[in-house]
Amino acid sequence: MTDKSGKPFILIIDDEEALRDGCSQVLEKAGYAVLTAEQGIEGIKLAREHVPDMAFIDLKMPNISGMEIIEILSRDIPDIVLVMITGFATIVSAVEAMQKGAYDYLPKPFNPDQLRALARRGLEHRNLKIETKRLRVEKDLMERNFITFVSHEMRSPLVVIMQYIEALNEIAGDRFDKDVKEIIERCRKRIQNLEELVEHWLDISRIEDGTFAQQKVSLSLDSIISRSVEEMIPVCRKRGISLETNIPQKLPQITGDAESLVRVFTNIIGNATKYTPEGGKITVTCQHDEFYINVSIADMGTGIPPDKLPLIFDPFFRCGGKNEKHSGSGLGLTFCKKIMESHKGCIAVSSKEGEGTTFVLTFPSQIDPERKRMGAVS
Amino acid sequence: MTIKKKILLIDDDKDFLFATKLILEKGGYEVFMAEDGKTGVEMWKSVTPDLAIIDMMMETWGEGFEVLNKIRSTDTGKETPLFMLSAVDLQGPYNSFEPPPEFPKVNKVLQKPIKADDLLNYIAKALGSK
Repeated sequence: MTDKSGKPFILIIDDEEALRDGCSQVLEKAGYAVLTAEQGIEGIKLAREHVPDMAFIDLKMPNISGMEIIEILSRDIPDIVLVMITGFATIVSAVEAMQKGAYDYLPKPFNPDQLRALARRGLEHRNLKIETKRLRVEKDLMERNFITFVSHEMRSPLVVIMQYIEALNEIAGDRFDKDVKEIIERCRKRIQNLEELVEHWLDISRIEDGTFAQQKVSLSLDSIISRSVEEMIPVCRKRGISLETNIPQKLPQITGDAESLVRVFTNIIGNATKYTPEGGKITVTCQHDEFYINVSIADMGTGIPPDKLPLIFDPFFRCGGKNEKHSGSGLGLTFCKKIMESHKGCIAVSSKEGEGTTFVLTFPSQIDPERKRMGAVS
Repeated sequence: MTIKKKILLIDDDKDFLFATKLILEKGGYEVFMAEDGKTGVEMWKSVTPDLAIIDMMMETWGEGFEVLNKIRSTDTGKETPLFMLSAVDLQGPYNSFEPPPEFPKVNKVLQKPIKADDLLNYIAKALGSK
């Protein structure tokens, strides 16, 4: 804490009167407010009372040693910069002091320049530390406020615009000619995409801060896959793509949230439909061993260039670049990756240009409780 | 001339009120709007609408539910169809709100934004079955 005049506040604890006075003079002249104490107890009392920014503490004193004082002050006074003054500076004692929370040490004898330099450097260090702390707190707060901010400030206007478009079509739709109708439809589509983007963004932040609602239960992946496939069949039919599944009869159970897993599958199958040409095929294949279940989703699409492959799970990354005709939030695969991670699983991709892309989802299967009890693995 | 059915809209977003009012008027209803819960409850008593649509989260979270409670506890509010509007943001990913069993009856929970056709259909259904 700075004193009333705004000067940084330094405490000196040393049993040598000459040294106390000398340091005091030098530091006061350099623009600091200085307090001194002759021994440990008094020094700690002063420190607790005045909360200095920095303290110089002699290592060797009667009663309480400098080392103990350092330990106490670094615990009691947040952000205080502690420097040990020592007549027999050994590496061992210096290291010990640093471990106890000292910032640096000052070997005797020292001259005024050394003292001033160390005081300045120590206080700078303190300011940086405080600033870093403040920024970290601010960052955490911003992250926490982000979700609320996005939902209120970004979603509400989008909702209202959509509602106005609905109203516009309702009250005057039959009077619009083709061009006007098309303009309105395009606006609606773009707003809808933006709304989806905000929605996905929110989902991802929720997964990150742990507020994404998931109900993890024991379930079988074949029900998830059939649900997802059922959902995607109309899109595939529309695009002239066939959707095949290849799932073994009896799959081990996994622990998962059905809703978010269906979203993962429909997302990946949906992506596949965007890149697979008419007449193409998407194949969902499931394999398992004792520990893992792998589900691969393979398309016969355009494929992803090798240099872009590592980036596709990054937020807002798009293979096709800016003029891509495929719309999407650019967050779909990021969402899938986060969901897979929250299921202790993973997602991988392989691709060959011109031949197609395969995504592989790996889930840990539930260990059979019977087997677990017997302790047998193989 | 048939008398138009009356619908009360309670939502703190002026634009949302206006847009929805346009849709409802086109659907042949007489529309009353309230921008906050207190006004909403007062209008409920003075207007005695055939149906009310209440935003779940107005100024404060829960205000919509308070309004619902107050309306349901009035004489005219026991059987009148009441819709609630939900913004997805507090509901997590599943976009749904399930009122607890002891909760006053909500006839329909609508998601914002709501398609004009859907809105008019739900209302017609709710009013027709009365």
